[in-house]
Amino acid sequence: MSTLLDVRNLVTRFHTQDGVVKAVNGASFTVAKGETIAIVGESGCGKSVTSLSILRLIAQPQGKIVSGEALLDGTDLLKLSAEEMRKIRGARISMIFQEPMSSLNPVLTIGRQMTEQLELHRHMGQQEALAEAINLLKLVGIPQAERRVKDYPHHFSGGMRQRVMIAMAISCKPQLVIADEPTTAVDVTIQSQLLELIRGITDEMGMSLILITHNLGVVARYARRVYVMYAGTVVEHGPALSVYHHPLHPYTSGLLASVPRLDEPRKGRLAPIEGQPPDMMCPPVGCPFQPRCAYALPKCLTDRPELQEMAPGHFTACWVAFSGETLWQKT
Amino acid sequence: MTDTQQPNPSEMAEVTQARPHRTLLNDAWIRLRRNRLAVAGAIIILIFALGAIFAPLITKYNFAKQDLDSIFLQPSGVHWLGTDELGRDVFARMLYGARTSLAVGIFTQLIVLLIGLPIGAFAGSKGGRVDNLLMRFVDIMYGFPDILLIILLSAVLRGTVFGNMGGGIFVIFLAIGLVAWVNVSRLVRGQILSLKQRDFVTAARAMGGKGTYITMRHLLPNSLGPIIVSITFGVPRAIFTEAALSYIGIGVKPPTPSWGAMIHDGYNVMFTAPHLVIVPAVAIALIMLAFTFLGDGLRDALDPRSRR
Amino acid sequence: MILVLFVVAFVTFCLMHLVPGGPWDRDKQLPQTVIDNLNRKYGLNQPFFVQFKNYIFNAVRGDLGVSYIYQDRSVTSIIMGGFPVSATLGLVAFLIAILVGVPLGIAAAIKQNSFVDYFAVIFATIFASMPNFVLGILLMIIFSVTLHWFPTSGWGSIRQIIMPAFALAALPAAYMARISRASMLDVTRQDYIRTARAKGLTERVVLVRHILRNAMIPVITIAGPELAGLVTGSFIVESLFSVPGIGRLFVQSVSQRDYGLIMGTVLFYAFAIAIINLVVDILYGMIDPRIRYD
Repeated sequence: MSTLLDVRNLVTRFHTQDGVVKAVNGASFTVAKGETIAIVGESGCGKSVTSLSILRLIAQPQGKIVSGEALLDGTDLLKLSAEEMRKIRGARISMIFQEPMSSLNPVLTIGRQMTEQLELHRHMGQQEALAEAINLLKLVGIPQAERRVKDYPHHFSGGMRQRVMIAMAISCKPQLVIADEPTTAVDVTIQSQLLELIRGITDEMGMSLILITHNLGVVARYARRVYVMYAGTVVEHGPALSVYHHPLHPYTSGLLASVPRLDEPRKGRLAPIEGQPPDMMCPPVGCPFQPRCAYALPKCLTDRPELQEMAPGHFTACWVAFSGETLWQKT
Repeated sequence: MTDTQQPNPSEMAEVTQARPHRTLLNDAWIRLRRNRLAVAGAIIILIFALGAIFAPLITKYNFAKQDLDSIFLQPSGVHWLGTDELGRDVFARMLYGARTSLAVGIFTQLIVLLIGLPIGAFAGSKGGRVDNLLMRFVDIMYGFPDILLIILLSAVLRGTVFGNMGGGIFVIFLAIGLVAWVNVSRLVRGQILSLKQRDFVTAARAMGGKGTYITMRHLLPNSLGPIIVSITFGVPRAIFTEAALSYIGIGVKPPTPSWGAMIHDGYNVMFTAPHLVIVPAVAIALIMLAFTFLGDGLRDALDPRSRR
Repeated sequence: MILVLFVVAFVTFCLMHLVPGGPWDRDKQLPQTVIDNLNRKYGLNQPFFVQFKNYIFNAVRGDLGVSYIYQDRSVTSIIMGGFPVSATLGLVAFLIAILVGVPLGIAAAIKQNSFVDYFAVIFATIFASMPNFVLGILLMIIFSVTLHWFPTSGWGSIRQIIMPAFALAALPAAYMARISRASMLDVTRQDYIRTARAKGLTERVVLVRHILRNAMIPVITIAGPELAGLVTGSFIVESLFSVPGIGRLFVQSVSQRDYGLIMGTVLFYAFAIAIINLVVDILYGMIDPRIRYD
């Protein structure tokens, strides 16, 4: 499998009134052609900012991509000119956002919002684009597509709008789709439908998919590999099943443990991870997870661990794991 | 990726609390101070206020004293801003006119607060039919072109007992105040309605707080921000209205000084003695500008969302 | 709307009758018999509510009564004489306000923190806080007294319209500039603009098709009431520049206690404002698809 996207040591910061927020603090990951990966983590861990950084949609001048590389088929996206980057957006990499209620322009019809992309990137004429838009709407499961294409966003429910977003994202046949928490703001009953849809389409069309979520239940089913992010950096990554069954980082283990499971007897309480996410203006020295970690060694306070491969394709950044004592694993 | 400095573990606790802690008022004050225009406005207002209060000490001329031998004098060392058509010192008239304008600004807003605040708070917290009734009333008043109403009201009130108080200025206070309170009451009501839903109110209720207590201790203090801003913008509007009325001739009665009246008096001789008209015009413009800058600054400072 | 007009009429009627003095006060006091006759002729000796009822009946049919001062002319004709003047002045001022204010606000938002932005904000603030007759006076001083470019009074030629129109337009222009700028900035921050950029659309398309269309909605919302205010005339500016419009008529009628004219002008004002607001509401529905009645 050849690599489509290779992100290396991405660092993105935001300059605010109170100080500098180090939102992404050295994140790296790869996506192969046609592969689906997941990036998981709590709110504020930097996963959204990472994807926005790849597409260079970070709000300037407050935000700045300080260093790192993002190689798409060998070309560093972070070094392209604005115009070159613009040609890539929507055409080679597209994005599905989290908030369907506010991500569509309220004064334009759905059809128009789809055809403008088709006309631009695929150079279609008006009629052709409209026909294609209708096709796409049918593909994502919107009934009465011919009529609905003239409707406005407020005529659609949240789940429907997300389907439209999906249609827009795949309309120009991109190589990579980034889905940033696509189901978080949608009803639970619709969530799995949407995920099936996204996964199904990207698989069928051979597109790579980055699925960003904080919902672990989703990950194992839809992604081949998982990246776990914490405090702006990747703390563990590997094949989904390997990470699930043998987490090599206490944070991952904590995340897994805090999700209620149907196949276990009802216990007294859920097991949350103690403590709060770190303040990204002054992130901890040493291992970022250390303040909340039940297994911390003295070394964890001072030295920051780097990712190391501990099992086939399975990397972690944890001094305790390096020493071989994965006390958090049940078996 | 390493930082330049590595604090030792015992310092880390403080380092991670580095973001400064600010209350809303504290924060607002700091932000206001940083806003140079607002500070400039405040200074201008202060200068006018001091000038108005200490007028007798600053100039030896009385604003009403006529000196028919020295009419239409240009600004000079004797008469700093010249004299008008009746020989009155223009600088003195400007200073005493500031009293009128500032008084109008302050007292009208006081009336607006005294009427608008309780009514708006009442409507907002009681809700239901009382609220509906009050808002109907407000809507109707909105249908009125307000300056017209003010003119009518002042004409009416002149004939009553208020007419002679303070040389007609009390009439102006009432006329403007009785029309302007509507805005504030709407504002207060809106604030209270939206705040009523918030969790801290439910919490207060859960602790056994009664209606009035909740309104006074919780709802009103949180609504203060927009109210303060509205009042600050209301002052220059009132000043303008008074000047306009006096210019037309239905404002304060002479010899009470008023910048609007000065413009009226000086209009006919604009070509020969322009300073008679420039001075009051600039004064009005300056003071209104000052209050507007201040109001803008207050609005930005008190808005919790506008942090950059 | 009807209710509002009715209450406006009623309140004005009451207030009018509370104004001290009567319509027949002159410098030389008229003999009482003459006053009584006049009162009888104009129905002023009838009970209050009867007078009001009569008035309303007539008004609905378009007859606003006769002016008490200009006894040979009906109020309606007087108003119709003055209204076109005020309307013209108001429209010109409105056009100036839009053509200057809105582009300025948009430009300021696009090039934030640049020279254009600072200039626009300062301009908007200064002109927004200066009362229009003060500005009028300053304009007069500069352009009439010093430069002798424009006359200070009169009506009819373009040269005579310019100064009062600008004096009147300054505040709305500043206000519109401010609203345009704020609205542009607000819309640019929205999620759907980020979506538009993520689709790879050019900055120009994003600006025109996505940002502008949304940003102009609040501008149009306030444009309506502004137009209403302008068209019904600013009595101050009219008095200052001796423009024979409705505003000046109203002021005169109050100081002369011309009951008929007072009632007529107030009702007319209220009516005009209500109509304009209605038109604006309809226009608003055409621009923003979210509030159409479909």
